[in-house]
Amino acid sequence: MKRKYEIGFLLNPESSDEEVKKITDTVVGIIEKAKGNVENIDEWGRRKLAYPIQKHKEGIYTFINTEVEGKVMLELERRLKLSESVIRFIVIRLDDKLKKANKLTKKWRKLEKITEKTKETMEKTGSDKKFDRKEEVKNEG
Amino acid sequence: MRANNNPDNSRQSKKYYFSRKKYCLFCKDRIKLIDYKNYKILQKFTLETGKIIPARVSGVCSYHQKQLTKAIKRARHMALLKFVEPKRD
Repeated sequence: MKRKYEIGFLLNPESSDEEVKKITDTVVGIIEKAKGNVENIDEWGRRKLAYPIQKHKEGIYTFINTEVEGKVMLELERRLKLSESVIRFIVIRLDDKLKKANKLTKKWRKLEKITEKTKETMEKTGSDKKFDRKEEVKNEG
Repeated sequence: MRANNNPDNSRQSKKYYFSRKKYCLFCKDRIKLIDYKNYKILQKFTLETGKIIPARVSGVCSYHQKQLTKAIKRARHMALLKFVEPKRD
């Protein structure tokens, strides 16, 4: 069963552009071997870290969105752990909370319907009084 | 309302202060899932020391607060946000 994942990893700032490409290619290669599809590759590039890691003050960020089987992640995590230029990495399942989130949209739709109805009724019953009053005040003044 | 009935507590009842009704900022913007990469938004829900602001202060609903805490912790792991630091004098 295919699931949506997001992989993010932080690379050593001393690593060259070729090394960055190598690691992204290996990750993409592992995914494509398991017949998964890479949806998006987000390269942030060099960024300052919020706190120093292994005495590095900068890091190179890349994020990859994919849709693959979960078994692939074991091999992927092992590879990322072994490579020395990777400082930190994170793997997140994205479709985890979509069901709950969809419940929220139902709630919001109801709210929007109510607000629309109230607007319509306000228009029918002459909610323009507020504006009229202001104009009246102006006219009186 | 009890305070108004008792004449002894009438002074305390005057201490009432008005505060705007809090609302969930994520519900207002209709955000379904909070992304840990959006560290600029997450930063608004942390103190200067790096602590997470409680929901009773910020007014975030329980559904989004749960996601927020998780997102902040993930962002800390990826060095997008700092961990809790003691206050400097």
